Amino acid sequence: MASDPDSTGKAGVVVAPPECSALEKLSHSVLDDLLYNIVHDLVLNVHREEKMARARTAAIRIEKMAADASESSTPDSRPDVRIETDAAIYEDNRVLLKGNPLKTTKDILCPRCHLPRLLQPTDGKGAKKQDPSIIYCKKHPYIEKAGHDIYGQTWVAPGPGRGKKKKDLEKKLDGADPSSPAAAAEGTIKDRPAHVLSFPSATCSKCKRCILVTRLNNHMGACIGNSGRNASRTAAQKISNGGSNGGSQNNDNTPPGSQRGTSLPASRAASPRKRDGDEFDEDADESDPTNPKKKKLKPTTLTRKVVLKKAPSAAGTPLAATKKDKVKTSSMLNMEQKIDADDGKDLTVQVASKKVMPGKGGHLQPRS
Amino acid sequence: MSARPTTPASPKNFQIKGPQPGMPLYGCEHVQRLFNQDQATTNTSVQHYKAILRNILDLPAMQAQTAKAMDSGAITTSLTPTYLCLQCPSILSEEDLAKHGSRKSHRFYVDSRSGALYCQMCEDIVWDPTLEELRQRKIATGTFTPRRKRKQDEMLAADPIKDDPKYITNNTTLTSCKANGLRGIYNAGATCYQNVVLQTFLHNPILRNFYLSDRHSSSSCDIPYCLSCAMDDMFQDFYAHENTNGYTAANILSGFWISEKKAFENLVTTKEQDAHEFFQFLAEELHERNGDGMRPESGSEHSCNCIIHQTFYGKLQSTTTCQNCSGVTNQVQSFLDLSLPLENLAQKKGKKSGSGSKATSMTLQECLEEEYIKQDKCEYRCNSCNSMQQARRQTSIKMLPNVVSIQLKRFEFKQGRNERAAKIETPVHFPLTLNMLPYTERARNFNTKEYPEWGRAATYDLMSVVVHVGEIDTGHYVSYCRVGDQWFAFNDHKVELASKSEVLGAKAYLLFYIIRSLG
Ligand SMILES: [Zn+2]
Ligand SMILES: [Zn+2]
Ligand SMILES: [Zn+2]
Ligand SMILES: [Zn+2]
Ligand SMILES: [Zn+2]
Ligand SMILES: [Zn+2]
Ligand SMILES: [Zn+2]
Repeated sequence: MASDPDSTGKAGVVVAPPECSALEKLSHSVLDDLLYNIVHDLVLNVHREEKMARARTAAIRIEKMAADASESSTPDSRPDVRIETDAAIYEDNRVLLKGNPLKTTKDILCPRCHLPRLLQPTDGKGAKKQDPSIIYCKKHPYIEKAGHDIYGQTWVAPGPGRGKKKKDLEKKLDGADPSSPAAAAEGTIKDRPAHVLSFPSATCSKCKRCILVTRLNNHMGACIGNSGRNASRTAAQKISNGGSNGGSQNNDNTPPGSQRGTSLPASRAASPRKRDGDEFDEDADESDPTNPKKKKLKPTTLTRKVVLKKAPSAAGTPLAATKKDKVKTSSMLNMEQKIDADDGKDLTVQVASKKVMPGKGGHLQPRS
Repeated sequence: MSARPTTPASPKNFQIKGPQPGMPLYGCEHVQRLFNQDQATTNTSVQHYKAILRNILDLPAMQAQTAKAMDSGAITTSLTPTYLCLQCPSILSEEDLAKHGSRKSHRFYVDSRSGALYCQMCEDIVWDPTLEELRQRKIATGTFTPRRKRKQDEMLAADPIKDDPKYITNNTTLTSCKANGLRGIYNAGATCYQNVVLQTFLHNPILRNFYLSDRHSSSSCDIPYCLSCAMDDMFQDFYAHENTNGYTAANILSGFWISEKKAFENLVTTKEQDAHEFFQFLAEELHERNGDGMRPESGSEHSCNCIIHQTFYGKLQSTTTCQNCSGVTNQVQSFLDLSLPLENLAQKKGKKSGSGSKATSMTLQECLEEEYIKQDKCEYRCNSCNSMQQARRQTSIKMLPNVVSIQLKRFEFKQGRNERAAKIETPVHFPLTLNMLPYTERARNFNTKEYPEWGRAATYDLMSVVVHVGEIDTGHYVSYCRVGDQWFAFNDHKVELASKSEVLGAKAYLLFYIIRSLG
């Protein structure tokens, strides 16, 4: 700690008043040092990220120049040329930095697509107009704007629900968005900007009907479950009987049926698919028993699958389960119990009562 | 300076990191010169750097924070960073750096708080690929050796798929830079309790690596309405497509409705349910789709190696000691999550503080301590005494999982005349970084201070938080997930940026911590 009585810590921000005890001065200077350290750590993290990104940019740029300069037709082999820029030297198939990349390199290239990164969001907090002449990497800074998501999207606000009141809570969570064009959205789809989305529909895997997403759960309850209300009756019964579920947990943790989904009607033209299911009545017990459920649901558009190039070493993990692995058990994984072999010699006693293990219904334990 | 070897003799010549596309070979021209003098200089420099990192990270902070002034010789210990010379054992204050440099021609110094390398000629911190890799690995794992080479640590669960999650996007083929896994999931009608759990799975690097490396491929699996296939499809949609609109989890939902899991029958309704139960349901279902097909409890030595077990499952050991004959029984049980009874703990803490009423807030560590460090009394039937006896019981963690899932039990069913479920609103403060070592069996049996590397191996970072907002029966679920250093708030189809303070201020219901040493 500095010996000068008037000084404080390294940040020089938290300063003790002149007339105070040595202890007070010390505590001020400790606090000041801690503040310095917090700022130091934050700055260091940003510095690392930024400087490394610029250094990589210098490397990407000069490698591209080297590749262009060499006439080699094999793109994978590293070209045998020497190139020098203000930021780096390409020599013997290696990239060497010249000077400080924070000074020599002003922009950041994406290490994947090699296009420049957009450095400011296009909307909301800290937004800046992007240069239309530049093709940027598609990874943009996330948008921070009330009522919008990280991509600047909003949704057509729920209109009058089917007899259900809009929850105050939802308003609170979504944040008020006075600028939302939602009010005018119904029926004026053409005027809707691209960033205003509506709720989509999905195909029921059993009856293949097209159902508005907000009704999908209710539909499947009727269509697949055919027991939507039965099951909830069973559940209610279970709660009152104190029956167990999951073999590991007591019903008292379960918040009984809370918020039912708020019906959110989407604008009509939103879905390109047929919309006959849109009018599906959630209260109708309209299952189709003739429809076989063997038909496997497949992703609709996925043709090429993205897979990591470098398949991680299989730490003994079996590959995808095969057909015969289809095991239906009311499994109770958590209750796997065994006597520890290492401590077998200590095995002089046995636990008599079936105690509730901590972590599993722990509050029921007979704890002191 | 016992930690700084003075003899540079190394049995092995150190190789700096080879050239990689899109990456300079050295941190700066000066590091380049240092590493190109001769092999002996390279060896000494790397050895010193490692010794300094050990000093900084393993020894008490006093060591590295104490500098000797060059002129007066005064010894000063400071809170703010000092600089450890890479080329000699000196520790310097910032003021003395220039002097030391000009007198000794030593140009590289290590920042005592971070281990970062300062180049005096650049007058800046430099990030050299070779040295930075050493620093990152030491910080993450406590050692310089890659984890796969080390012998299996019995305290930790089986090694998961180890690839650095940060580089996953660099290694994927075909994908757009826009496909980053950040999408909302539409509420299909009271399904926000599912959405929050799905988001924590989607942003779990171990599960993501599993599905993105095609380990359960929906194109080669024939099980109808397989939930693991539905997960596979969902991961593809999140990480391979440019779509930023919300996701419709129709396949998950139909798999859920079709599942025959009797244990979770009451979940399968159109009503809002418990996110924790859905987590258990999903874990068990995915275990069955990816496991060895055996019932998990069959055979005492049977331990499943499926992705779910590798990710979430750990083992608890409870030791019961007879108060009469001192006989000891050990019982081992595997767990998917740790469940902390808030009601009890709040009452207990309130009593202790003398206020008589419930505590107004608690910390996660207090809750864990109560469950996994403290002993409790119980009655049991002792075999040697052949009678019911008083006993002390202690439960601790025998094997830590790669992802520690914690449930803060906020929903209690009050018995009595007015039977009802109540929500406990007591705030529980949870950290971004959690050291699980104190709650392990090892901490009970060893003085862990002597093994600083254990603490590092048991360090977890907060990965996801599931929050139940509002009243018990009108509430709503939201979640927070971390991608790199950035937090995101997921509210059904909507994804927004979240600050750390927003995350830490949330009244968590489920917490997911991921082990730091995944590397
Ligand atoms: Zn890109
Ligand atoms: Zn249907
Ligand atoms: Zn020196
Ligand atoms: Zn330099
Ligand atoms: Zn499958
Ligand atoms: Zn398993
Ligand atoms: Zn006994």
